[in-house]
Amino acid sequence: MPWVSLLVIVPFVVAIALLFVKKDNHATARALAITGALVTVAISIVVVVLFDRTSGALQQVDHANWISSIGLSWDLGVDGISLWLVLMTTVLFALGIIAACRRLPDRANVFLSLLLLSEVGLLGLFTAGDLVLFYVFWEFMLIPFAFLIWNWGGDDRRRAGYTFVIYTMVGSLVMLVSIITTAMLASQHLGYLTFLIRDLEGVPFGTTASTLLFAGFGLAFLIKLPLWPFHGWLPMAYSQAPIVVTALMAALMSKAGVYGLLRVGVPLFPDGANTLLIPIAILALVGIIYGSLLAWRAPTMRLLVGYSSLAHLGFIVLGIMVFDSMAAQGAVLQMVNHGIVVAAAFTIVMVLGRGGGTEDMDRLAGLAKGAPRLAVGFLIVAMAALALPGSNSFVGEFFILGGVFRQYSWMAVIAMAGVIYAAVYMLRMYQSTMNGPVKGVPADGRACELTRSDGLVLVPLILIMVFIAVWPRALVGATQASTDRAIAAAQVAADRPTSQITPLSITRNRP
Amino acid sequence: MNSIVGVPLYIMSAATLLAIVTGALRLPTGLRRLPEWIGLVAVAATFASITFLWGESRVGFAGEIHLNRMGLLLTGIILLATAAVILLSWGEPAGAGRRAEYTGLLLAAATGMILTVIAGDLIVLFIGIELLSVSLYILCAIEVTRERSLEAGLKYLITGAVGTAILIYGFALLYGMTGTTSIDGISRALAEAGPLTSQPLLLASMALIAVALGFKASAVPFHHWTPDVYEGAPTPVTAFMATGTKTAAMGAFLILFTGAAQGAIADWRVLIGTIAAASMIVGNLGALVQTNVKRMLAWSSIAQAGYLLIGVAVGTQYGAEALVYYLIAYLVMTLAAFAIVILREREVENGDDLQSFTGYGRRRPWAGGVMTLAMLSLAGFPPLAGFIGKFMLFQAAIDAQMLWIAIIGALASAVSVVYYLRVAIVMWSPTPDDAHEVRRLRVPLSVAAVALICGVAIVALAVFAQPVINLCRGAAESLIS
Repeated sequence: MPWVSLLVIVPFVVAIALLFVKKDNHATARALAITGALVTVAISIVVVVLFDRTSGALQQVDHANWISSIGLSWDLGVDGISLWLVLMTTVLFALGIIAACRRLPDRANVFLSLLLLSEVGLLGLFTAGDLVLFYVFWEFMLIPFAFLIWNWGGDDRRRAGYTFVIYTMVGSLVMLVSIITTAMLASQHLGYLTFLIRDLEGVPFGTTASTLLFAGFGLAFLIKLPLWPFHGWLPMAYSQAPIVVTALMAALMSKAGVYGLLRVGVPLFPDGANTLLIPIAILALVGIIYGSLLAWRAPTMRLLVGYSSLAHLGFIVLGIMVFDSMAAQGAVLQMVNHGIVVAAAFTIVMVLGRGGGTEDMDRLAGLAKGAPRLAVGFLIVAMAALALPGSNSFVGEFFILGGVFRQYSWMAVIAMAGVIYAAVYMLRMYQSTMNGPVKGVPADGRACELTRSDGLVLVPLILIMVFIAVWPRALVGATQASTDRAIAAAQVAADRPTSQITPLSITRNRP
Repeated sequence: MNSIVGVPLYIMSAATLLAIVTGALRLPTGLRRLPEWIGLVAVAATFASITFLWGESRVGFAGEIHLNRMGLLLTGIILLATAAVILLSWGEPAGAGRRAEYTGLLLAAATGMILTVIAGDLIVLFIGIELLSVSLYILCAIEVTRERSLEAGLKYLITGAVGTAILIYGFALLYGMTGTTSIDGISRALAEAGPLTSQPLLLASMALIAVALGFKASAVPFHHWTPDVYEGAPTPVTAFMATGTKTAAMGAFLILFTGAAQGAIADWRVLIGTIAAASMIVGNLGALVQTNVKRMLAWSSIAQAGYLLIGVAVGTQYGAEALVYYLIAYLVMTLAAFAIVILREREVENGDDLQSFTGYGRRRPWAGGVMTLAMLSLAGFPPLAGFIGKFMLFQAAIDAQMLWIAIIGALASAVSVVYYLRVAIVMWSPTPDDAHEVRRLRVPLSVAAVALICGVAIVALAVFAQPVINLCRGAAESLIS
């Protein structure tokens, strides 16, 4: 069975079917959407089970020619980098749809359909083995997210959506030109025109071309992440979107940029990546500090979590860009951790916002009294978000900081500040809402208590956090071969001593 | 027998005459649609004839007509546009009292467009362009009781006449320098002439021709007439100008530049490339501030002319292939957009105003869906036809070492997303009140059919692009031997 293709096809078909459901028939829409999302989860589990952990290459590849005369093909597969992202995407979307189903907005069928379409975009993106297909899914996910903001967002939704779309489009169209240029230049070396990433790996581009192409791709990735100073769209989009959409954007869409960097940018243009290593690392470091400071002073909980992810993504980018085997594994692990933690944090924000009627931290206090279960969940999530030792994020950040320290100790020192700040802003959010005298809510905030359906979303997320915290090897073991392979060429370009270069890369013939 | 190459023209001109003659007859009410039916049958018959003629290049009438695959494919595009416009005009108030003239003129314009794209001689090409222009001048002004329509006709006439004068001047210079009006002869003469920079008159003639064709294609800086004329003309006629005229103008560009002036490519590449880049920038920026959908589509068509001209500017066979594919994509997405505008215009006053589309998608989801698809495709979102077209054009540009034009095109596309998506957003946003819903007519079947077929084609042309691209490749091969 072409399982990987089914990952994309099933939600797509369900999304189209949802459009034909009557708009006031919430029961059918709900059942259809949840079934579709759960079937997709099942398929992704099959993909994980079939995964060969020893191979670093793209596997379970479904290949078909699409437009062969211009070199386009339908080419989907998974490797160690994408495997967990795929699983996380399907799981988070299933949980997101379950959460959304509790209180469906008007025209629920379209809302759910757009959610599933954005899932299609993300899953396609994480599995694409062809650069053009990568671009197709990259753009494909933008439209549903934008329409979700435009149709169901807050008061300033139109401007928020436009800002988001324009920022992204500038990056992605430059990426499109870079994609075509890459294939054209490579065809002179390969003798045939192809957009397959695995064929393009190892093609020598020359330092200038490599740098320009990496910059062309990098712009799109950094905007999508976003990394400072390309985050202009983030505050508006995150604060205007419906909370489920914000959660999915922060948890998953942001990973698209990181994934692109590790899957396309670094392996295809090692020389360019090496040239731009320091500038991008500096942006990441600034992002860590700046994002942390913004999160510290953020007025609403939603923005706090949003800005904190700006800082966390800075960590992940740093982990990729230093070309260290350990840091790269940490980056992949942290992508998963961050996705899970952010999703859980937004679930808390959603529950608080629903019960307390506001997401403004200063107007809520003392909720722990009336909502003890929520307080426990919140505390666990907050501890995970600030990477307390013993939490899942700690493992990821430890890997990253350790790897970064090995290569550039000064970067690790600066990045360390972000870890401290994380404690400051996460504890501020917890304390100001949970502790102290009761404020802003009737009846001690009992309305904020976790309901059974909230638990259905939050408990699985906490279980996943615990699982990763106690057994990170389960994840890292599968990713190692792929991350080593992805950064091998860049390590050679950066003249790392051979002792540090992973064994795979030595057998690589670099032109 | 070489007069077989005239078959498409025979059918179309005969149908033109027939349709106009029916206007003099006193038709029983059962036959009042006769002109339209004549038009549809003629288009179908011509289409059958070009599929039959598809294959080897044929030359007829002593070289006056070149029926190669490029000409045939462009003829096919023009015929599809004609059929769609006849369907869009079904019951159009503009043509109601003057069905015979209206349809006859549409067919005459189509004949002119076909003549343009299969011309083998400057004179034939000129006649083709004139036939299409004159017919369209009248069609723009056919609503004689509406001031905007008359204004549009007059504006189009005046600017069009200037364009014609420039074109004939360019042709005259070209004839003077090469001693022939045959396009094959000119091609040979230009190949022998050496660099054009040493031959100022030849260079001037090429520049004049580019300017005149730029007028017809509404490329910058010869675009000023476009927004007013597009807005003022009856909407089906606007749709015809946007698709048919554009195809004919691009056909002429291909014949004269990519085809005949292939030998002098280095001399005109930058010229056309600059026109293309300027059109993309100005068209997209101009469209940003429009509040009327027809005006917005006019500016968008200026920008789209820029994208199309990339295919001419590169001057390669692949460029021509990409251009023709994009023309097909452009045809279906433009027709889809205009079909929805026509639908809305039939329902409310000022139906071409963006405001009147508020919440339209919620009431007619299929219409909203088609419009959204058309807008996304025009903006170049994958995986739709417009994306594949732009992809090929950028590929052609990069292949021909013209990376700069691809980058300008990409950035201009990023701008265009704003105004294309604005339409889509407005369509799906909630209506403040349903008060402005003055007339709620039954949806005209023919308009709905065009909209739906085009909507499906926008997706299908991308998903099943390979067969279409093969056709385009055959066409491009026949152009550059």
